[in-house]
Amino acid sequence: MNEHNEKRHMGLKASTRISNTVIYILLILMSVIWLIPFICIVLQSFRVESTWQVGYVIPRQWGWDNYIALWNSDFKRWYLNTFIIALFTAALQTVIVLCMSYTLSRFRFKMRAGLMRLMLILGLFPNMLAMIVLYRVLKDLGLTQANAVPGLILVYVASSGMGYYVSKGFFDTIPKSLDEAARIDGATRAQVLTKIILPLAKPIVIYTILTAFMAPWGDFVLARYISFGTSSGMNVAVGMYSWLQLDQIGQRYTMFCAGGVVVAIPVTILFMCLQRYYVEGVTGGAVKG
Amino acid sequence: MKKYSDLEFLRLTRGQKILYRLASFFAAIPRTIGGWFVALGRFIGNLFSSLGRGIADLFVTFRDGDWKTKISYLIMGFGSIARGQVMRGLLFLLFEAVFIFYMVTSGGYWLSMLPSLGKVGPHEEYDVVLDAYTTAYGDNSFKILLYGVLTIFFIIAFIYTWRANIQQNKISEQILRSGKKLRSGKDDLRSLVDDQFHKTLLALPLTGILVFTVMPIIFMVLVAFTNYDGSHDGFNNALFGWQGLANFRTMLTWSGSGVNYSATFGEILTWTLIWAFFATFTNYFLGMFVAMMINKKGIHLKKLWRTILVLTIAIPQFISLLYVSKMFAKNGIVNGLLMDLGWIAQPLPFWENPTWARVTVIVINIWIGIPYLMLIATGILMNIPADLYESSRIDGANAWQQYTKITLPYMLFITGPYLLTSFTSNMNNFNVIYLLTGGAPTNAAASGAAGSVGYTDLLITWLFKITMGADSQYYLASVIGILVFLVVAAITLVVYNVLPSIKNEEDFQ
Amino acid sequence: MASVKLTKVKKIYDNKVVAVHDFDLDIKDKEFVVFVGPSGCGKSTTLRMIAGLEEISDGTVEIDGEVVNDLQPKDRGIAMVFQNYALYPHMTVYDNIAFSLRLQKLPEDVIYDKVTNAAEILGITEYLTRKPRALSGGQRQRVAIGRAMVRDSKVFLMDEPLSNLDAKLRNQMRAEIILLRQKLDTTFIYVTHDQTEAMTLGDRIVIMKDGFIMQVGTPTEVFEMPRNLFVAEFIGAPMMNIIKTELLKEDGEYYVRPFGVKLPVDGVKGERLKAKNAAPGEILLGVRPEHMVLAKEGDAGAIPCRLEVNEMMGSELHLHVYTEDETRMIVRVPTVGLETDQREALVAGAKLYVTFEGKVMHFFDPASEENLLNE
Repeated sequence: MNEHNEKRHMGLKASTRISNTVIYILLILMSVIWLIPFICIVLQSFRVESTWQVGYVIPRQWGWDNYIALWNSDFKRWYLNTFIIALFTAALQTVIVLCMSYTLSRFRFKMRAGLMRLMLILGLFPNMLAMIVLYRVLKDLGLTQANAVPGLILVYVASSGMGYYVSKGFFDTIPKSLDEAARIDGATRAQVLTKIILPLAKPIVIYTILTAFMAPWGDFVLARYISFGTSSGMNVAVGMYSWLQLDQIGQRYTMFCAGGVVVAIPVTILFMCLQRYYVEGVTGGAVKG
Repeated sequence: MKKYSDLEFLRLTRGQKILYRLASFFAAIPRTIGGWFVALGRFIGNLFSSLGRGIADLFVTFRDGDWKTKISYLIMGFGSIARGQVMRGLLFLLFEAVFIFYMVTSGGYWLSMLPSLGKVGPHEEYDVVLDAYTTAYGDNSFKILLYGVLTIFFIIAFIYTWRANIQQNKISEQILRSGKKLRSGKDDLRSLVDDQFHKTLLALPLTGILVFTVMPIIFMVLVAFTNYDGSHDGFNNALFGWQGLANFRTMLTWSGSGVNYSATFGEILTWTLIWAFFATFTNYFLGMFVAMMINKKGIHLKKLWRTILVLTIAIPQFISLLYVSKMFAKNGIVNGLLMDLGWIAQPLPFWENPTWARVTVIVINIWIGIPYLMLIATGILMNIPADLYESSRIDGANAWQQYTKITLPYMLFITGPYLLTSFTSNMNNFNVIYLLTGGAPTNAAASGAAGSVGYTDLLITWLFKITMGADSQYYLASVIGILVFLVVAAITLVVYNVLPSIKNEEDFQ
Repeated sequence: MASVKLTKVKKIYDNKVVAVHDFDLDIKDKEFVVFVGPSGCGKSTTLRMIAGLEEISDGTVEIDGEVVNDLQPKDRGIAMVFQNYALYPHMTVYDNIAFSLRLQKLPEDVIYDKVTNAAEILGITEYLTRKPRALSGGQRQRVAIGRAMVRDSKVFLMDEPLSNLDAKLRNQMRAEIILLRQKLDTTFIYVTHDQTEAMTLGDRIVIMKDGFIMQVGTPTEVFEMPRNLFVAEFIGAPMMNIIKTELLKEDGEYYVRPFGVKLPVDGVKGERLKAKNAAPGEILLGVRPEHMVLAKEGDAGAIPCRLEVNEMMGSELHLHVYTEDETRMIVRVPTVGLETDQREALVAGAKLYVTFEGKVMHFFDPASEENLLNE
């Protein structure tokens, strides 16, 4: 009897240990696979002996040449552009999104259901369609090509209200009785927002700011359309994309790698610092049906 | 089809149950579709009846209203001013003045040109000073369309405001008649931060959406009915005009100047659907799997594994995509490594062979998508009550059974809507496809149809190429856009309506 | 003077669901009124309409003679304690209580006096610098009351404040609310689903069901003279026994015949039946468990039954019995008067006899469920 139990007991332990080992192997493998492209980019950015694409990873000659070349090229301009766009977008978009999501979460007014349904339908249209018209309008306003930066900020911010979903989910989790208690205590609805709700909404505010800041760094289509070939109006995505085209890749491949590192590092550091809020936003608000 | 009662259903074998469920699913479809038409009919009926009621109400208010109300039918805001609500009245009056001014100066012009979209295009005119023929420009079709639509919106807004003005009068009369006081200007301002706060908050976001999303979409939908393209840009080289449904016919049938659009459309649509399906579900299940792996009891360094994966979300996607795309090129790192290791003699055609390209794209998308899905899955997994698993262990369930009977249903229930939006946004996932392959490898047979169409092109990348191409056939792009919308909307509708009939919401409460 | 008057108050949701029907009630100044009823009966909705948190579909609500239908909650002179306390999590206890006073722009020293005063009365002075999450349920409860107290409001509204507390704490807090009521000289409107709370706290009780008022009265009134079957069964624990039987009139005297045993309706109830000249016929007879007594075989009016379950409650036994026709009843028997052999005879399956007097009987019409003796 005792031996039989022991055998069963050992079976459980052993099988757990085996499955755990398998899992660890898988996880290590995954970590390697996930991180490899970035390790490669970093390594290749230091390559000095050639500037075109090659089939090996580790440079034969190491140097900062590519980074220096970055500094002397249009990249500086692109980086600055993108940074300004990201900054303004982060600030303005957060305000707009929070206004929208708070209202939809707290207030019940006649058009509410219709409004949400309308935005759902609008979201089903491929947003590229709007580009052409927006380009013409912005052109008439003088906000294209060289002035692409304010143009892009305007476009990003203006329609950002449609992205209320995640923040609204978060606001829905704050009990309405807090609002009611405050209103009975004498607060106007504006005061309820500023004194009660916003202090409690720190995670989602940070999440919104973070995602709003990170988005312009990677926007390709819209930025390309609006800058329309004028280098001084491009953002990093458009500019670096042009480097990888057949006509330029010979000289620019390694510069691309260096540029990638320079772009990725600050954004990644920011993200990792605020990772907690991002995770909270994704797992909290994003999934609430 | 025989309908089983609950108890009878329980007596069937597993196979019979599955068959029965499938059969009822398909049997339900005609009923659901019928239901939509009925709902649509009812909706339109309601629309007309409320319209009728609204108009009747206008007549009644005029008949029963006092002289202040009657004058307000002509001069907006008069009633409000006469009753002491000066601020409101002035706002109405200002709106009316601006509207009339606009209509007289430009609105009327744009409206009148709308049916024709311009009569006088660019033409040669004799310039006396230069003693030569120079190009003189006439109407601008684009502006006509744009401002014409804006004018129509303005008119609708005006009608709405005018009606609100009438309602105001009616309500004010009622209030005064019952002996109460009207709100003063100060009260109005104060209410804007209190019970009307939602209007204050929504004003800016909604205006932005209206101008930058709604208008462009309406405009582009209308463009699908014109022949606006690079050579008919409406001003510089030629005007464009209404084509009716001609463009749709071109896209969807075999006709059209020698180029078989519909075949191309069909091919690309098929690939788009296949891509969206795989992209969504591989990420979903693999992400869930990874989340469960890391979450398992006994696995240490959970935070480390998660952080490594989450790191990849932080790095801007375009860098990852562009670089990985080059990694798999003929002279790229992957081929280089494999050749160095001696595993292959020739570089693998990751991007050159159509099927290879399609598979590679899906695989790389998994690499991009898993960290995000893992986050979501982790969050949900942590919320599944642990006692569900414990009681199932006592009942004798093994790991696989626990997965299929507890984890999976729970996850599917919570992320159902998310899956749907994920699917539709993958259908329009421009960045991944364009940055990885640009649509390559080129599909020569289909490429006659504007731009170089490739085997990995989605409808949306095709759309992009058409607008950036030599001809800039915007009208085609609009048609494609509309068709994409219809497909996506149809899928969304079907899934939303069929889902509840299979699943039971209260099970999880 | 803070009376509250509700006249024909209705609440209709826009999917045509009527939550509250024609609610009429006159609450006098400084009265403690309890709205009680099962969940979904409309009691919280009515309270929220008084508070201004729900729109009043029809009818008027007057506070102190002034119609408040169109007034914001903050202008109605009310204070409210919520079921889940609704304390502001990011503020200290002091700030929570001071919040409304600061909105009124009162000077800080005045605020200090008021807050510390309230804290002392409630016994929470030592928690003033803590945040709500560091407090227990009972302490949070008191902070919520404190927040409402400092506003010197005319009407004090409480929405199931004790529901989230465990049984022992609930009893304790109930007593404290009674003390609080003596200290605060205001009108109280209290909502609960627990009939014990209603009976112990209220000057008057309003019993509601499905949006209708079933009865308004003092605890004694609703206990001794329930107007209908619902009130009779709702008030008092364990529930009143309801027996389907006949009301007979013979020679001017009334009798009932539960389970074939003829019992005279003597005493006060008999007189009242005669005064109303009640018609004999099918009725629902109600007798509270504590009014049934054990009898011996052969006693006049002894109803035979069998014992199913014997619950030992401490100072009394709750005997679950069933009659020949499977009707179930509960009889409360004090343990004090029982002899040991009598107790030991009370086992499952034992044959017992119960009986009751005329003055504890309640008569209800089977169709309308109304008390036959209603005025």
